[in-house]
Amino acid sequence: MFGVHKKLERNSIAFVLGVIVVASIGGFVEIAPLFTIDETVEADPDMRLYTPLETAGRNIYIREGCYVCHSQMIRTLRDDVERYGHYSLAVESKYDHPMLWGSKRTGPDLARVGGKYSDEWQAQHLRAPRSLVPASKMPNYAFLDRIQVQPDKMASHLRALRTVGVPYTDEMIENASADTIGQADPDGDLSDGVYDRYGAETNVRNFDGDMRKLTEMDALVAYLQILGQLTDLPDAPGVEPSSDTPSEEDNS
Amino acid sequence: MTHDFFVMLSKSWGLFYLIFLFGIAVAYALWPANKEKFDRAAKSIFHDQDEK
Amino acid sequence: MTFDFSPAERDAAIGTSFVAILIGVVMMVSSQSAAFTTHGAMFFAFGVLAFFGFAKDYNKPQAQPYSRDVYYDTPIKLGILLSIAWAIFGFFIGDWVAWLLAYPDLTFDAAWSSFGRIRPAHTTAVIFGFGGNALMATSFHVVQRTCRTSLPGRYGPIFILLGYNLFCLLAVTGYFLGVTQSKEYAEPEWYADILLTVVWVGYFFVFLNTLARREEKHIYVANWYYIAFIVVVALLHIVNNLAVPVSFGDTKSYSAFSGVQDAMTQWWYGHNAVAFFLTAGFLGMMYYYLPKAAGRPIFSYRMSIISFWGITFMYMWAGSHHLHYTALPHWVQTLGMTFSIVLLVPSWASAGNALLTLNGAWDKVRDNATLRFMMVAAVFYGLSTFEGSFLAIRPVNSLSHYTDWTIGHVHSGALGWVAFITFGAIYSVVPQLWKRERMYSPALVEVHFWLALAGTVIYVFAMWNSGIIQGLMWRTYSENGTLTYSFIESLEAMHPYYIARAVGGLLFLMGGLVCAYNVWKTISSSKIVGRVSTSPDGVLEGAA
Repeated sequence: MFGVHKKLERNSIAFVLGVIVVASIGGFVEIAPLFTIDETVEADPDMRLYTPLETAGRNIYIREGCYVCHSQMIRTLRDDVERYGHYSLAVESKYDHPMLWGSKRTGPDLARVGGKYSDEWQAQHLRAPRSLVPASKMPNYAFLDRIQVQPDKMASHLRALRTVGVPYTDEMIENASADTIGQADPDGDLSDGVYDRYGAETNVRNFDGDMRKLTEMDALVAYLQILGQLTDLPDAPGVEPSSDTPSEEDNS
Repeated sequence: MTHDFFVMLSKSWGLFYLIFLFGIAVAYALWPANKEKFDRAAKSIFHDQDEK
Repeated sequence: MTFDFSPAERDAAIGTSFVAILIGVVMMVSSQSAAFTTHGAMFFAFGVLAFFGFAKDYNKPQAQPYSRDVYYDTPIKLGILLSIAWAIFGFFIGDWVAWLLAYPDLTFDAAWSSFGRIRPAHTTAVIFGFGGNALMATSFHVVQRTCRTSLPGRYGPIFILLGYNLFCLLAVTGYFLGVTQSKEYAEPEWYADILLTVVWVGYFFVFLNTLARREEKHIYVANWYYIAFIVVVALLHIVNNLAVPVSFGDTKSYSAFSGVQDAMTQWWYGHNAVAFFLTAGFLGMMYYYLPKAAGRPIFSYRMSIISFWGITFMYMWAGSHHLHYTALPHWVQTLGMTFSIVLLVPSWASAGNALLTLNGAWDKVRDNATLRFMMVAAVFYGLSTFEGSFLAIRPVNSLSHYTDWTIGHVHSGALGWVAFITFGAIYSVVPQLWKRERMYSPALVEVHFWLALAGTVIYVFAMWNSGIIQGLMWRTYSENGTLTYSFIESLEAMHPYYIARAVGGLLFLMGGLVCAYNVWKTISSSKIVGRVSTSPDGVLEGAA
């Protein structure tokens, strides 16, 4: 293949190497430090994990491209904080593969939407947004009611997430299917295990108001209701964000 | 390879690195001996063939 | 196409068709989701079609034996036509989603047609489909002409284009089916990403190998930009898409990065995709076609070299300006902001260089819409790089971020710069490739120019207005210290601008249709000019 203009060839390869070296340094300088520090992410030993049902809901959020119109990142600006709540901490998206901070707010920020509205409101708003908010531009997601969640698939999802660093235990992975069902069935036998594995604060209830089947509506509402609820850190009195968290005065 | 080390590297040597690179690029571009080459190159696009 | 290939290349073509068929079969057999089966079937069908396409002329003698002195233009023609097709599709979807923001019920009662699924189809179709195919086609054109040699082989470039367009198809159909990583401008899932990596490595080798065969000692600067585009996009694509699939038969994967690291990686990618895909690549286009059309050498070749290195080493630092006031460490934000501002220098050097090249050829700009496309592109390049640096300043960003101002900025670059320079290049290259004296209708080029310009200006002004109003409404306080406007009130205020934007987009789409018609008529007209060559390709004369 190569061999004719050997010398000229070396020129262009040197050129390519030059471009690579010159261009990679910028990325390296900015990104590498973020992987070496713990200070980027505040410590929170009590950080909750997404349950299998919430993970399924998060995957629907990803699949439907919700990030196109909704951010999940409250900035350190007064009006952002007053409108949406405490500014987002790095730790809160620690287990988000990928992060869904978003770049555009055609709709409002959702970083702390969990618990703000009832399950009924969320489900109805997803089915027909303009029935509750007449000026809304959001698409109708009524079809979520018609698609069933597949609990038996969740174990492989949790396993893949563990591979990329989310600390799911063997027990959580083994019981992923049961926990998916249990979280939406508060009176059933499987719900106790969800509390055991994911903590007493886990939302265990039927999210879409239809006990007969476990739909994607259940999963997505379960996910929306956990947003901003994975850690109590922002609400803890006297907790200061770490030194590297942005603030207006800090000019280091 | 600590965080402080990386930050120090980024904040100090990063700047020198850029000045150094910029110096090389400018020197190459303005080197008098290269002038003829560049003039020729700039006009070279008019010598191609499949012009009507 | 096969009649151009050597016997070995014919076998390679048939072989890769079988590989595609095989991949399709393996995907379908091991599939655990309907979407994965569909994409397996697409691989399969693509392979079968390619097989029949290549097998048709398998036994015919080679029309023109390979020679360094004969340019190989088939992949350029293919790339240009594919680029135009994707442009029409991408502009159409784009205008549809624009209307959806004004009237959200203008869609089907089906999952595939909801805003969140078709909006990435718009961005992918225009950036990768329209832009990517145009970059590949023009790079093959420019590198052959400036190096005065032929592409190293005949099947390689065809393979690259076909594989690349299969990637685009997998990406866009994936979104309709709900297959996405939700990483902006890197939405395609793991198997499509692997395909793109393979294709891109091939592209890299073909381009480099062409340079290696060059008859000119010095590599013309346009090629530098194309190389930076190819090399850095490979780097960005591979790093940002590192992910672990749920299982082999599943479309879904989980990103290797999370949270703040993922955000920085994503915007390092996103920002530099703008830098090296939408800027460096198209600057390569500009540095060849603009001086060529103006009939004047580039104003300062030296300045083009300095700005090349400026862009290459500074863009990479600027990505974090997408994450101002977020949970990203403060020093990274400051670093990104600083470099974004310094970046204005090489950007304006390039824009100025282009405009100064036209100094002395203004009569041609006036009379020739093709050249005018390129002139406007340089102006919008200057405007949008200024705007980009401006928006990267933290306090400005606090107002503009999350609003339509960002969308306006992106389109000032994407419509005004990228699309204009591409249309300029298309109108330059189509008559040349198909050996016509000129485009079928210069008047229609003129019509396209004004439709595109009007559409862009309406679009950008609408988004400036809506973005700034939105940003101000979000931060307006009443006298007693509470927020004056609810979120939904800010959305209601956007309505007239969303209609205006959709109208602007419609004009731009109409311009694209005019272009497609004009190109089609140019190709199908029988008027062939000049020395009628029996070969399908231009015969090289001026080789040194």
